[in-house]
Amino acid sequence: MLASRWTRLILVLLVVLALQTTLFKELRPFGVAGQVMLLFVICAGIQFGVSIGAIVGLIAGLMFDFVVSTPAGLGSIALGITGATAGLYLRFFPNPIWWLRLVSIGFVSIIGEIYILIAQAMIGLGVVLEFRLIKIIAVVTVINVCLTPGFLLITRWTLSERKKDR
Amino acid sequence: MASKNTTRRRAIILLTLTSIMLVTLDLQDSPKVAGLRSLFGTLFYPVEGVARVITRPVGNAWYGVTNYNKLLDENSLLRQQVAQQEGATVAAAASVRLSQELLALNGLPTLAGINAVTAQVIGESPTSFSQKIEINQGTDSGIRVGMPVLNAAGLIGRITKVFANRSFVMLITDPDFSISVKVVSTGRKTTESTVRGITSVTTSTAVPLEPISNTPDAETTTTTTTTIPIAGFTAVVTTLPSTPQGLTSITVPLASDLDVRETGVIQGNGPTRQPTVRFIDNSLRFGSIEAGVPIVTAGGSRSLAPPDVLIGVVSRVVERVGSAGPLLEIEIAAELTNLSFVRILLYQPITEKKSP
Repeated sequence: MLASRWTRLILVLLVVLALQTTLFKELRPFGVAGQVMLLFVICAGIQFGVSIGAIVGLIAGLMFDFVVSTPAGLGSIALGITGATAGLYLRFFPNPIWWLRLVSIGFVSIIGEIYILIAQAMIGLGVVLEFRLIKIIAVVTVINVCLTPGFLLITRWTLSERKKDR
Repeated sequence: MASKNTTRRRAIILLTLTSIMLVTLDLQDSPKVAGLRSLFGTLFYPVEGVARVITRPVGNAWYGVTNYNKLLDENSLLRQQVAQQEGATVAAAASVRLSQELLALNGLPTLAGINAVTAQVIGESPTSFSQKIEINQGTDSGIRVGMPVLNAAGLIGRITKVFANRSFVMLITDPDFSISVKVVSTGRKTTESTVRGITSVTTSTAVPLEPISNTPDAETTTTTTTTIPIAGFTAVVTTLPSTPQGLTSITVPLASDLDVRETGVIQGNGPTRQPTVRFIDNSLRFGSIEAGVPIVTAGGSRSLAPPDVLIGVVSRVVERVGSAGPLLEIEIAAELTNLSFVRILLYQPITEKKSP
């Protein structure tokens, strides 16, 4: 059962989502909640390319949308695009260097948060442009960079193809 | 390899179309999306429960490390405030009781007549952009979308999503929050009237005053009325001197003494900015609005909240040119950053109620 990468993905995403809605909702450094769903999608994209990143983003976003009160499907689109953006890393840097990967994850985290804001603004949800947004993006980026090593391992284990998958 | 890429592309297209369709349906409040959300919530709730139990010690440790000094300071401040407000509470409770009795006597709706459900706040929004909290009561307790949510200080928001045993509350600071409100005038006004040789001096003001003492002369008897604002409302204390024999004390309420109100719409501006009230008529009935006047819900057949629920006080008045009317910045009475228990009024306006 666990041999299928997509089955593993759903189960792992459920656990990550549970962490997002419990632990990372409570731990708010500087009043900002970490976005581990976003980090998972970025790590998937950065290791497995554009298409896998987009699929993981779309699925993760859909699951996230069902537990928050924003319109369903909105986070899915935003995270899907974020995953695809993260996947572009492999095209520019086929031989990954660890520090470059960290920088890229930080950079895509910033872009991912901006995608979410743009998606919310496009459907008319109130987005107030203020200094706090910069703080949110900065804190989320720092948290994501700090958690990157662990999440790279988790996404690698989750999405790597076993013999049965091929 | 090529077939794998084709399959992935198809999956991406399918998922993207599904997401777009869901956004479209959800924006139109489709019951199918609500059903899907509810189904996923039911499946996900046990996983979340297990995660909550496992991660609670970590969360508690985090709070202990980050908030210990803040809690100590807050505790001493609260002790001071409790000591100060104990006396005021007694007077306020008496005023509220009197007000409710008067409303009931005149057949007017009161908050006391509306059923309410108490709920515990079980979490903030998992995202940092929206101003929402999650509570542990839902449709099983009679909660519906739109119902007003209060804490001990006043209105804090309204219900936006409801599940069987949990709900989401949009806070008053959310940019999407708006509700019609009344601005209650408490500006300084002094009136004097004489009825059958009795002079009545009434002074009311937005700041506390020392009681006015007048010496009754031989010809007239003077009553002194002092108003003291308590939590935005005004408790009235009237001191009557000994009534001269042969005369009876007569109370004549003047129309100009009654509170005059203007209506507008309050709108959230995010957690760092104060909510604002717009659409106040440019030509006010009671002159200019001053900082400190209370803001309460307007009520009405279309409003989602009953009338006279305290929201806060005006902290700043921004005058605007033309016919736009003033813009009022509101200091909310409730402390939204540290909510633990809230009260949901099971109130629905007449226009929302389904006929049997």
